[in-house]
Amino acid sequence: MTGDLDTDVAVLGAGPAGGNAALGAARAGLRVALVDEQQDAGGQVWRAKGKAIRAAPETPESRAGSQLRALIAASAVDHLADTRLWQIERHGPAWRLGLLQGGEPVQLTARALVVASGAREFVQPVPGWTTPGVLGLAGATALLKRDMVVPGAATIVAGTGPLVFFTAAEIRRLGGHVQAIVTPNTRADWMRALPAMLVRPDLLARGARWMADLALSGVPIHWGHALSRVIGEDRVVGAEVHPLDSDWRPAGPVREIAADSLCLGNGLVPSIEAAQLAGCPIRHDPALGGWVPDADDEGKTPVDGLFVCGDGAGIRGAAAAAYQGSLAGQGVARFLGAQVPGIGPRHLRRYRRAAAFGRAMTALSAPRPGLSSLIDDATVLCRCEGVTSGALRQAIAAGATSANATKSGLRCGMGPCGGAYCQTAVTRQIAVSTGRSEGEVPPPTARPPLRPVPLGGLAGDIAYEDLPIPKPAPL
Amino acid sequence: MSAPFDIAIVGGGIMGCATALRLADGGMTAVILDQGDLGQGASGVNAGTLSLQIKRVALMPYALRGHREWQAMGDAVGFHRTGGYTLAFTADEAALLQERQALKAAAGAPISFVSPNELFTHEPHLARKVAAASFCAEDGYANASLTGAYYRARLSAAGVPYRERQEVRDISRTQGTYDLVTPGGTIRARRILLAAGAWLRPLASHLGVDLPVRARVNTVSVTERQPPLLGSVIGHATGLLTMKQKPNGTLLIGGGWQGAGQPQDGRGQVRMDTLRPNLALAQHVVPALAKARILRSWTGFEANVPDFYPLAGSLPGLEDAFVLGCVRGGYTIGPYIGKLMGDLILGRELELPLFDPGRDFERTDP
Amino acid sequence: MIRLIPDQSRRIRRTAEVTFWFDDAQIPAHEGEPVATALLRAGQLRLRDAPTVAEGASAARGLFCCMGACQECAVEVDGAVVEACRLEAVEGLRVRSLGRGA
Repeated sequence: MTGDLDTDVAVLGAGPAGGNAALGAARAGLRVALVDEQQDAGGQVWRAKGKAIRAAPETPESRAGSQLRALIAASAVDHLADTRLWQIERHGPAWRLGLLQGGEPVQLTARALVVASGAREFVQPVPGWTTPGVLGLAGATALLKRDMVVPGAATIVAGTGPLVFFTAAEIRRLGGHVQAIVTPNTRADWMRALPAMLVRPDLLARGARWMADLALSGVPIHWGHALSRVIGEDRVVGAEVHPLDSDWRPAGPVREIAADSLCLGNGLVPSIEAAQLAGCPIRHDPALGGWVPDADDEGKTPVDGLFVCGDGAGIRGAAAAAYQGSLAGQGVARFLGAQVPGIGPRHLRRYRRAAAFGRAMTALSAPRPGLSSLIDDATVLCRCEGVTSGALRQAIAAGATSANATKSGLRCGMGPCGGAYCQTAVTRQIAVSTGRSEGEVPPPTARPPLRPVPLGGLAGDIAYEDLPIPKPAPL
Repeated sequence: MSAPFDIAIVGGGIMGCATALRLADGGMTAVILDQGDLGQGASGVNAGTLSLQIKRVALMPYALRGHREWQAMGDAVGFHRTGGYTLAFTADEAALLQERQALKAAAGAPISFVSPNELFTHEPHLARKVAAASFCAEDGYANASLTGAYYRARLSAAGVPYRERQEVRDISRTQGTYDLVTPGGTIRARRILLAAGAWLRPLASHLGVDLPVRARVNTVSVTERQPPLLGSVIGHATGLLTMKQKPNGTLLIGGGWQGAGQPQDGRGQVRMDTLRPNLALAQHVVPALAKARILRSWTGFEANVPDFYPLAGSLPGLEDAFVLGCVRGGYTIGPYIGKLMGDLILGRELELPLFDPGRDFERTDP
Repeated sequence: MIRLIPDQSRRIRRTAEVTFWFDDAQIPAHEGEPVATALLRAGQLRLRDAPTVAEGASAARGLFCCMGACQECAVEVDGAVVEACRLEAVEGLRVRSLGRGA
């Protein structure tokens, strides 16, 4: 083994949740390793600027991120940045993690584990969504925050919830041109969410400013519409948009909008694969974004020594994630017989208040059933393996009625992304076609490695003579 | 109450499904029950190797017939007869290979030894460290992922009902009929066949039978699509490596390295301390694999009994109750031994003998 | 026009320019900028061709998740597949596209 590390607490993911969990556990006097695949802590929402940015104006997100990064740097937390986690194992009471650092295998042993793996985006498949120039909405925010680059010269920002408006505002702040905003939500949807938003007057004011700016600048906002087709062969040249009914089924005449880039996203889905590999049971909760690890408010799971927090435990937003991270830090400290000073009921109250706001945003972002009807038989669901909705429909009709069965029979989910970008749409289609609820169609079994990793990086430098070859099988 | 089935088969893997098809052909009404999906146990997650070179000598007649079954199943199961090489890298391994392949050849497998020159002409990406290599033109592979889809189609065409996600929680017998309790209700059948692989032991215990079934936890990995690196199935003298490149360019790497876990606790787990040497061995054999990305590693439970011969016959002490499983090389032999099992249940004459589940497992001969 | 969100693009300071190769094209980038981002700025959206596509569909693929998860921006450097959104541009880097003209 090239490198073996040992710690009390391993925290997976250095976003608002994982960062605060790590800081808390370290303040309790525990040795903490914070594992993250990005170069800087902050996660997706509090993402740091990339190496190519020497100076730039700050935003609320960049300030929150800088603060977290400064706290981690000043703490005793061992931040393993630019490190890929590929495997989680249980050996007796201890956890053993397979990491890859600079192409070299490293094993990290820990007494307790905090999984703060965050979220990924649900992008509603529509005809043409694989065309170059189509970015995920959350993906676009990474481009805007890290690289401070806009997606194109004329961008359609489409999708649900607050992220469309944040993205449009950021494109404008960085000098880009927003061609149109297309959102299935209506003004009435937002009015209904307003009471839950009153707990965050800062965000409310910011949102109001975005809306006023868009109105003044004449950016058209297509409320109650969906982007239903991407136009362009090898690059985006525009999109079709449809008005929707209250179930978000296309209703009414289509219109075309020219653009060279599209940002498309329909809410977030918890990344649960790491928790699944750690043996955590999962349950389906649409209010939290779908399948979530079974855990309480403080992130405690039924698995001894395993805690989960942040969006990976259910989509509640960055503010709630930070508080839940602190709570999970306290939980893991207690589990190891230590105590984090200054974490108490006040934290839990703040967490619940922030979570209420986050859940209101999750509810706004969650696609309604009719949106799936944007998919036609030729629409690609599994981008990696090119599996279409029509092929999936046939496989289901032939009896493949679980995510594992469609994965085996069709290869959807067997490609390099591991099903991350098709699973939600695939299990939804299985559920609808077989008359079951989404909660009755679990995702496929999680398998290592959590990201594709070079074989040589896993094998390391084991010499042939040192291979532990057991005695041959019976003749 | 509806009429009982002629037979209930517990376990929808290759052996259970192949038996069901034979029985349906013989006029029996059968039903298959599986705790998960069809063909998602060992039948669906093994590496798909069809190699006579790694079969046990006493099972060679079954394996030869198994190969013919797979060939007949053809494209629907992703069958490819590519030929296969088994490699030795040290003098000891070469001696082991010589000794074993001679016995297997005597048992009917068309195995010969090839020169390094011939080997590298056919497989130019192999490391130039090979000490000896045997070849068998019969060898190849099928795509285990397709097992479930294949048998769903065959069973539907044959009119055999199958019930997925129906774990059998209890079995009892009243007035000559077996009652199988499942979440979807009680299934009644005049006969019963247990074909649940690594889950046979808890299943048989419902009938008061203790089968000494244990499970191996075999690890398999797959790479991203690669340019052409291998044309045939590659094995290692010790049996600890199987490797093949699929038509889509992905490479499948197996060899029976052991993961962790128990069948009753769900799926098994990959272990770094066995996966890493498994991959290191693959890289030793094909150095270009160092840069290939691994997309997935997984495990499958392979059932066996202490003498490593099949359980195939009547359950001891019971009437109209049968068991089929624990076949070493079960993927290869499964479609054939399923037919034999069907013939036994139908009261037909058997082409080859089966393996008495009531035998003394401490002896080395079945 | 009145802007409530000011254009701050002129206040961003970036690292010095370098040049890398994408197949046969020379692409300018700021040092340390993700290769995928520099390619996007250069108008090079098609980063690879997918190995399997449905009949009649385009195989062209480009940057999508921007965070190293979706694998759509995979490219080849020194014979190894890497995500262009996580690959830093340095002077003279040779990047090859996957699945195109192979």
